[in-house]
Amino acid sequence: MSLADEIQQVAKRYPDSKSAILPALRLAQEQHGWLSRAAIEEVGEALDLTPAYCMSVASFYDMFNLEPAGRHTIEVCTNVCCGLVNAQAVLESFERELGVAPGETTADGEITLRAVECLGACSTPTAVAVDHRYRQSVTPDQAASIVEELRGR
Amino acid sequence: MSNDLVRVTIDEREVHVPKGTGLVETALAAGVEIPVFCYEPRLGAPVGACRMCLVELEGIPKLQAACTLTATDGMVVRTARTSTKAAEGQNATLEFILVNHPLDCPVCDKGGECPLQDLTFRYGPGNTRMSFEKLTFEKPIPISPAISLDRERCILCYRCTRFSEDVSEDGQLVARNRGAMSVITTFEDEPYSGPFTGNVTELCPVGALLPTQYRFEGRPWEIQNVPTVCGMCSVGCNVNATVREGKVKRILSRNHPEIDEGWICDKGRFGFTHLRSADRIVDPIKRVRLRGFEPVSWDDALDEAERLLRAARGRVVVALSGSETVEQAYALAKLVRVGLGSHEAMLPEEVSHGLDAYGLPLSAIRDAQVVVVLGDVSVAERAPIVDLWIRAARRNGARILHELDEQAVHDADRSVLIWSGPGGRGGATVAAHAERLGLAGKPGCGAFYLPETPNGRGAADAWAAASDEEPAQAESVGLLIVSGDEAANDPNVRALAEKAESVIAVSMFHGLAVGWADLVLPGTSYLERDGTYVNLEGRLQRLRRSAVPPAPDELAWLSQLASRFGVELAPHAPSVFAELSERIYGGLAFGEVGERAPLRGYAGAPAHVEAPPLPEPEAARGGLRLVCYKPLFSGPAVERVEELQFQRPAAEVELARDDAKARGIANGQAVTVSHNGTSVQLRARIAKDLRAGVVRIAREHAGDLRGTVEVSA
Amino acid sequence: MAAEASPALVLGGAEEQPLRDLASYRAVGGYAQLERARAMTPQQVIEELIASNLRGRGGAFFPTGRKASFIPTPDKIAKPVYITVNADESEPGTFKDREIMLRVPHRLVEGCLIAAHAIQSRSVFIYIRGEYSTEYDVLQAAVGEAQGAGLLGDVSIVVHRGAGAYICGEETALLESLEGKRGQPRSKPPFPAIEGVYASPTLINNVETITTIPVVLQVGPAEFAKIGVPPDSTGTRVFCLSGNVVRPGAYERPHGITVRELIYDIGGGIADGRKLKAVMVGGSSFPVMTPDEIDTRLDATSLGQRGLFIGSGVVTAIDDRACIVQFALRVAQFYMHESCGKCTPCRVGTRWLVQLLRAVENGSATEHDLELLLDVCDRIIGKCLCVLGDSAAMPVASCVTKYRDEFHEHLAHGGCPFGADSSLDRLFAPVDQHHLAPVAHEAGV
Repeated sequence: MSLADEIQQVAKRYPDSKSAILPALRLAQEQHGWLSRAAIEEVGEALDLTPAYCMSVASFYDMFNLEPAGRHTIEVCTNVCCGLVNAQAVLESFERELGVAPGETTADGEITLRAVECLGACSTPTAVAVDHRYRQSVTPDQAASIVEELRGR
Repeated sequence: MSNDLVRVTIDEREVHVPKGTGLVETALAAGVEIPVFCYEPRLGAPVGACRMCLVELEGIPKLQAACTLTATDGMVVRTARTSTKAAEGQNATLEFILVNHPLDCPVCDKGGECPLQDLTFRYGPGNTRMSFEKLTFEKPIPISPAISLDRERCILCYRCTRFSEDVSEDGQLVARNRGAMSVITTFEDEPYSGPFTGNVTELCPVGALLPTQYRFEGRPWEIQNVPTVCGMCSVGCNVNATVREGKVKRILSRNHPEIDEGWICDKGRFGFTHLRSADRIVDPIKRVRLRGFEPVSWDDALDEAERLLRAARGRVVVALSGSETVEQAYALAKLVRVGLGSHEAMLPEEVSHGLDAYGLPLSAIRDAQVVVVLGDVSVAERAPIVDLWIRAARRNGARILHELDEQAVHDADRSVLIWSGPGGRGGATVAAHAERLGLAGKPGCGAFYLPETPNGRGAADAWAAASDEEPAQAESVGLLIVSGDEAANDPNVRALAEKAESVIAVSMFHGLAVGWADLVLPGTSYLERDGTYVNLEGRLQRLRRSAVPPAPDELAWLSQLASRFGVELAPHAPSVFAELSERIYGGLAFGEVGERAPLRGYAGAPAHVEAPPLPEPEAARGGLRLVCYKPLFSGPAVERVEELQFQRPAAEVELARDDAKARGIANGQAVTVSHNGTSVQLRARIAKDLRAGVVRIAREHAGDLRGTVEVSA
Repeated sequence: MAAEASPALVLGGAEEQPLRDLASYRAVGGYAQLERARAMTPQQVIEELIASNLRGRGGAFFPTGRKASFIPTPDKIAKPVYITVNADESEPGTFKDREIMLRVPHRLVEGCLIAAHAIQSRSVFIYIRGEYSTEYDVLQAAVGEAQGAGLLGDVSIVVHRGAGAYICGEETALLESLEGKRGQPRSKPPFPAIEGVYASPTLINNVETITTIPVVLQVGPAEFAKIGVPPDSTGTRVFCLSGNVVRPGAYERPHGITVRELIYDIGGGIADGRKLKAVMVGGSSFPVMTPDEIDTRLDATSLGQRGLFIGSGVVTAIDDRACIVQFALRVAQFYMHESCGKCTPCRVGTRWLVQLLRAVENGSATEHDLELLLDVCDRIIGKCLCVLGDSAAMPVASCVTKYRDEFHEHLAHGGCPFGADSSLDRLFAPVDQHHLAPVAHEAGV
């Protein structure tokens, strides 16, 4: 199924197709890797919205990449609950493993590292979302194996 | 809003207003100003974003944004004038607004006419407590060739984005990012384009969105705003021309609630720089045997004109532009008809009296339940503001139809028909439909015809008023008088000029008139004239001279020329108007036309119109019917405005969705449009408002295509 | 109230293992209350909710039954009515809704269907935060299973995924987002019960609230109203215990348990033998609690007397390694990052707070700046369009007033007296990932 068809399928769940913009942007990002100009235009075309509107909505939400991002993402919670229990050390450990600062992507375009706000896994700090799946109670010494695992994928 | 009055107490003053009146307006009625930035009722529901209007409401502990509230009976409100709490709220807001504002008022074009500056002066802190780095952005950014954006000055009131989303509905100017990082932007590097973009420069309450044309052009104490009427199309939006040292520097809206609601289009706003076009004609130009074209003195020019007129006496034809003032058209008619006995005029378009019975303001469209738009040309291309009224109607829940659904019209209490395109016979076609559907005399109902010229009807009426003689068809054209740039630009007029023995052209531009006329007299623009125009509603409106023309205006030399033929003609609009008003406007005095003219309608128009028979429907012959239209952003004036070039129509053919689908054509695809062996390469655009079986191409991109065409990928 | 005598109601049956599939949920009596409810009139269901005095678990603590009673009945309005479940759990320290969705997804579905019956709605949207991938899968599976079993009847349940924006937990921002817009709160009135999603009447409830509805019917409203601290704080809460405690976790206990009991009796006390320094109660949006306040009972009235809030049931213990200025800074950074940008005080004020706190932390602030900090908080509180601005200002102001000595130490010391010893030292905040906002040119805070 083409992206446009997929989007129109999703849009049927809602009384107003505009409601499908978040799922549509998610689908476009999954397909394009990030919300490139072309990806945004495809979403706009499928939902009969202007590209500017789609970009405006996308830019409001943290999970949409309006710049190229890595094939994989590592997101470390650095809000206070994880922060109290070593999140900074976990983040720095990933920074060392990947050689990038938070918000950056490795030079080979493989992995994007991000610090994120509370992931809602506060009883198992530090919470890390690896390709959007939670790892809990992550310690600094686990960074290397997580990176290795991703590089192998 | 109901008419029940409610009692509201504002700062201990009692006031009675209709229930549902906005609190900001209620306070005004009590003589209390509640300061606002984001609040602008024309943009739809209030958003309560800027927090400048915080007030204390009895019974509610938290401060409330007055702009989001409406008057209810017994409401007790304290504004910053009488409530310490409200004053603190207002001070807090102003301090926050100024935290990131650069305070570069001395170099800001908004300075002196800036709501932020005014409110800071009145309510703001004398110093700043913000000692950290302000947010800085690259600036100014051209969001289009006509508008520049300074993000540092922006206070994020979202007026501009709300206009783009909820008024013009173009969805191009948006907010990007979130929180402190929010900025106003367009998509990628695309310019903000469309008929109405310039309105955001007036909505902006700070110096963030400014017209590039006005950059460093004038200070409020150096300028004057001249109230006049736009002459770029048949709507006749009320405008102010900002003038400095005799030159127009800027055009602003001047809200006429029945015509334009304070919106104007970009052609009307930015088009004025054609006045100072490099090829502006400032002296008469005469064809001189063997030497070509030479500037001559006015004495020589009038001698030459007299010579040509005498030579052609009785065989003079006048090609009107439809942009003449009523007075100009009358003066020209009187000279030619009374002085020379020539009665033949070539009108720029057909006019009809069919709609004279309907004294309907454009604002009635907004209140209609059914709006039927016929004629197949986009309304925005012909009469842009009408497009905004239709959008407002749709937002109010009206059905907007592009086919005449008679049942829908019958079922609605208030229906409006609009004819936009060819086949309208000056309004006769839509008048026949309206009469048949019983809309005449029904409150809130009626019909509009959207002419191509700004004052075609006024010019035609003035021409007719000058004499009762019927034109007698002459076997040859002795002299063709081409009155104005639109006529000079008209291929039919040019074809007639080829056949005429001699030609006098009145034009503003070298590029347009020099080379084919025997005598060219300098023309003026609507911004340089005094006089009157009649808009598409039939509303007589007053033009005021805003700029001094570089040469005597038409009335001045027409009056001199007329006297050589024993015709008495005043050189000033008020006197000419007084003469013609007796004949066609019931003796209305020039001074009473009004700055915000009422809709007087046509004196003596019958309550019911004689319904002329409708033309035979065209037989379907297969293929697609081509509608060629004159785009809004085209014509001699637009061609001379640098800031409007990016708005010129793209080389596109518009198709209905079904027609595109049937041919396997996608939006944006390159296609061939062909007819009888001629073909044109264009890009396809799927237009939602187009009927199946019709395709649309801007005249300048249609080449030799006519009639029925085929479109193929 | 003894901490160990704790009836699990909302998480009932899932103490050992999650009840993810329909069969296991049925085995603990699942969907029996739906059947009972459908045998009742809608009005009767609402009356039971009112009688139970169940209140919203999302933070605002509004009576659930009354809220449902505001929704116009079909004879009063021609429009459809909607239910929107707020599963956009993003308040720092909160993970109860996630636990509920992972452990008893069918109880949430059952709650949705009972609520739909109560307000005669045929359309339910569950707005789940975008980061919850597994939770989405589990919930979607439960909805699918319920549908397959014919339990939905004529009701549709759409699980709608957010995309990363804390503000969408605010009810009107959630509605905007669900409508496909930027998640910026709306000005109220109109209230969602009259004009919610698609300009139609909309009932919005938190996941835990909705999941408690079957419980109310199961134990009976009168019995439910006796649990906890009647009359205002009835029933249980799934408390979110985290931070520097030995045994963090989601613990369902009746309202009225003290913070001390949660931290020491249930949580095993402060980890690593450290001392308790502060407690984040309710979430990061509220004033912090000092150690001498920890005998306060976790119910709305007891907390309210101290100017505190129950919020979303958060209890985060902060031990004495943490620098309170760094804590306040990190909290302020969160709100600056999450401010939607619509109203002025919040958009501008949160950034200013961050700048001021950073100045305190790095030693460039003066006594005057402390007063300014409090004044900026004051100028935010009560002036904003929604509560996000207050949520930033209240905890910051409470840190300054309750730990003023520590702020003064920073001024006197010319910077943080803890140095690298603070558990929150140099903690990186997402708001500093500036290059994610490419149009901002040197937007340094």
